[in-house]
Amino acid sequence: MDVELGYSLQPVSLIALLPHAHFLLHSLSPSSCLAMCSQDIRNTVGNIPMEWYKDYPHIGYDLDGKKIFKPIRTKDELDEFLDKMENPDYWRTVHNKMTGTDLRLSDEQVDLVHRLQQGKFGDVNFNEYEPAIDFFSSEVMIHPVTNRPEDKRSFIPSLIEKEKVGKLVHAIKMGWIKPRRPKETAPKYYDLWAQEDLNTVLGRHKMHIPAPKMRLPGHEESYNPPPEYLLTEEEKLAWEQQDPEDRRVSFLPQKYSCLRAVPAFSRFIHERFERCLDLYLCPRQRKMRVNVNPEDLIPKLPKPKDLQPFPTTQSLVYRGHTSLVRSISVSPSGQWLVSGSDDCTVRFWEVSTARCLKTVEVSGAVKSVAWSPNPAPFLYPSPAFTLYSILYMKQVCELGAVEQRAVRPFHCIRISVLCGSQTLLVYICEYRAVRQVTWHGKGDYLACVMPDDNSSLQVVIHQVSKRRTQNPFRKSKGMVQCVSFHPIRPYFFVATQRYVRVYNLIKQELTKKLMANCKWISSMAVHPGGDNVICGSYDCRLAWFDLDLSTKPYKMLRHHKKALRGVAYHKHYPLFASGSDDGSVIVCHGMVYNDLLQNPLIVPVKVLKGHTITHDLGVLDVAFHPSQPWVFSSGADGTVRLFT
Amino acid sequence: MSQLQARFFTENKKYAIDDVPFSIPAASEVADLSNVINKLLEARIADHKHVEFDFLVRGQFLRSSLASHMDTENISTEEVVEIEYVQKFTAPQPEECIMHDDWISSVEADSEWILTGSYDKTARIWSLEGKAVMTMAGHTDVVKDVAWVKRDGLSSLLLTASLDQTVLLWEWNSEQNKVKARHCCRGHAGSVDTIVVDPSRTKLCFISLAELKCLKTVFSLSVPTEEEDEVEEPNRPRKKQKTEQLGLTRTPLMTLSGHNEAVSAVLWTDAEELCSASWDHTIRLWDVETGEQKSMLTGSKVFNCISYSPLCRRLASGSTDRHVRLWDPRSKDGSLVLLSLTSHTGWVTAVRWSPSNQHQLVSGSFDNIVKLWDIRSCKAPLYDLAAHEDRVLCADWTDSGLILSGGADNKLYTYRYSAYVSDAGA
Repeated sequence: MDVELGYSLQPVSLIALLPHAHFLLHSLSPSSCLAMCSQDIRNTVGNIPMEWYKDYPHIGYDLDGKKIFKPIRTKDELDEFLDKMENPDYWRTVHNKMTGTDLRLSDEQVDLVHRLQQGKFGDVNFNEYEPAIDFFSSEVMIHPVTNRPEDKRSFIPSLIEKEKVGKLVHAIKMGWIKPRRPKETAPKYYDLWAQEDLNTVLGRHKMHIPAPKMRLPGHEESYNPPPEYLLTEEEKLAWEQQDPEDRRVSFLPQKYSCLRAVPAFSRFIHERFERCLDLYLCPRQRKMRVNVNPEDLIPKLPKPKDLQPFPTTQSLVYRGHTSLVRSISVSPSGQWLVSGSDDCTVRFWEVSTARCLKTVEVSGAVKSVAWSPNPAPFLYPSPAFTLYSILYMKQVCELGAVEQRAVRPFHCIRISVLCGSQTLLVYICEYRAVRQVTWHGKGDYLACVMPDDNSSLQVVIHQVSKRRTQNPFRKSKGMVQCVSFHPIRPYFFVATQRYVRVYNLIKQELTKKLMANCKWISSMAVHPGGDNVICGSYDCRLAWFDLDLSTKPYKMLRHHKKALRGVAYHKHYPLFASGSDDGSVIVCHGMVYNDLLQNPLIVPVKVLKGHTITHDLGVLDVAFHPSQPWVFSSGADGTVRLFT
Repeated sequence: MSQLQARFFTENKKYAIDDVPFSIPAASEVADLSNVINKLLEARIADHKHVEFDFLVRGQFLRSSLASHMDTENISTEEVVEIEYVQKFTAPQPEECIMHDDWISSVEADSEWILTGSYDKTARIWSLEGKAVMTMAGHTDVVKDVAWVKRDGLSSLLLTASLDQTVLLWEWNSEQNKVKARHCCRGHAGSVDTIVVDPSRTKLCFISLAELKCLKTVFSLSVPTEEEDEVEEPNRPRKKQKTEQLGLTRTPLMTLSGHNEAVSAVLWTDAEELCSASWDHTIRLWDVETGEQKSMLTGSKVFNCISYSPLCRRLASGSTDRHVRLWDPRSKDGSLVLLSLTSHTGWVTAVRWSPSNQHQLVSGSFDNIVKLWDIRSCKAPLYDLAAHEDRVLCADWTDSGLILSGGADNKLYTYRYSAYVSDAGA
């Protein structure tokens, strides 16, 4: 217990130590008050070490200044032990060093000691966790915490601040203070290689070629080489006879007895020069040469085999004409063929047997024939006439032609009847050289071309049902080569030497002018869809125009070796053909898609040969069969040929 | 492999030999095998004369050495080969050359007379020996097709079709050698190209190439029956030789429409069934009773001509791509080509089955050659009859052993073929 209450043996020091000493004194008093009051032993020496009174009989002085004598210590060790064993209050008995007496602690005092030892407040009733009341909080309350009146200072503006602000305003006015500069947004530092492609980096390293290094000297270069490196006499001879470029080594290995005996190297300058040349001529960078296979540059076209059907072989030859066959035309049913020739005859053929059924002689060379697309009778409404064929021919000018033309430039003559009262021929004789005649798709209108450089009367349009003739153009825009009607819409194509003009017949205005990029247009054909036109020219070219794309040719085909004379489209199959003076007919696959975004596909599929070249003229006209993939061609050799 | 085991058999009892397998050299050809058979027959029959044989291995004629043939046909050489032998079809011998004034558009022969139509607007009757018997001039334009209708004793009925849109029915008395135009059939607005008479000889059908009025109606059929004919005859006793004014004008009973383009050939396959080939690449079969289309065979090229054999029940068609194709008209799936016979170099314009042999047909082409085919050897024709100097336009067979062909060189050639083969083939 002494250990436990070690510092309690000195109550004064205990009082001095504890802030709550008065509690302790107060609490000590109730139990021992009587004893203490009765004795009132109170030492006045103060807080001094008690050893100083060790050798004195007293221990200090009381309030009256009298010596306080040490109590007589009769107890020895044995007594102490016995006391410890027997006294039940021994554990709460404390030795007071100031007075030298033993003091028995009451229960309250022991309790207080326990509480203090545990670090608790001495007062049992003290609540250390009472709720805190924050009087000076941010909340503004209706009643002031204090009722001290506000200072006057708080109501008037601060002079110091005013002075400061005035200074700043003055400085801004004077321009001493500048408004804050906007922050620079561009990053100060950036990754130099962030944008770099990895491939180019690798490529740059790959492309680099280091300068060639010199070969390190070996045993051969030594002044004292091993004997196996020295050349024998034969080898030396061979070395000398070799071309300098073919030699394995550029010098002769030589042996010297000592380094001192080595002469100056005679080829030094030469060798340095060659080294410089090596460095100068060596490639510094690997250049990628693109090895292009010429085959790969050709666009991928479908094989002609996949584009069948198209005419491939010559099947029939229609013989009978004795001179150039200028023009051919197939009947809409596909059973008959009409051909006009320079031998002043028009012949009608049966397509399937090549039989000439009718020959009509006319008074001039026939330049153009065209079979009416309308088989219905319209000219003379009689059931006997079902087929009409219109022929234009060159009329030999006769006397009085001028007057006749002035009065009646065109007249129709019914001349002949073909095939047993079935077909009526109408010759419309013009008093100028007629070059071409063409039908409108419905068979009521037909246009005729009389090329003349100066005349305004180059193209005339006849209306057959009303027997009326119009001259659509007032001014001559050049020599008209050929004309064509648009198959669906009221357009009219007029080809002059270099241009194709597209006229709107209803609005009577020029719609488009196609630049053919060739010197002299010879023939023209309009796709049955109406949006594509092909033009053959005398300078061996065939121009395909897509009217939706531009006025320039979509494709120029230069397959023929000589001038083109005739071009034609097939009505149903995606085919077109061109005939040329080189005696060949070239059939091409020309697919036109309904999709406006897809350009036409043009694939040459077949060269058809058969016509012999006569007077430097080959094929003069081509025409497709209306329903089968067959093509007819007429030639200068007086034949018409059918290719199937 | 130098020897093969082979067993020979024949259907002709006259040339039958023992049914024993023989070991024969693999390299042996037709002549060697023929000698073997002849040797065997000589041993068997005392008065045997040498006969050339032809050999069939699994239905195909032997044309090369036996080993190479079996190699190409994938026949095993380990087993005994069954070889059928038939008497060799001897080459048709050219017999007559009948000159015309113009191209011959059509020919039809029966057992006694030959009827030809020509581009000189006449039809002619010839005897089989090539003697001109009768000329019928009534058309105003080219005669495109002719047909025999029937014969009662001395008088015969025949038909001619022409480019002048009419078909004329003629009655010809062979004894008095007089001809009368009896009827004029109209109905087409174009030339009449083909005319056929049905097997019962009561109906006829004619078609026109040019019939393309509105892209649909192509096919026109006219069926005047003989009963009607006889009823009308007493009412209209007036008969004039001038055909344009011939009173008995017929109108078509039925029009079969369906082809998209010109119809090039037509025939009766049956009493109630018509077959037509067209330029729209189809062959169509029609039911005449109802007038409806029964089935359709689709090709890839224009058809020029067709022929039907009741013996083997197959159609043969000639088209512009130089092939003769064989079709089964009863097949339902439409486009089954059984065989393709390729040897011509021009359009095939005439094809005709043999009337007596189910394996043989003749075809004429624009390459001036008439070819005789056996469908058991489809690689090459049996014989090329190269007599014409210009395009062949028509061909025909007769039962009496004649092959006829006419062409653009104004000549009608007749060839005689050995009739005994028909026994073997039938």
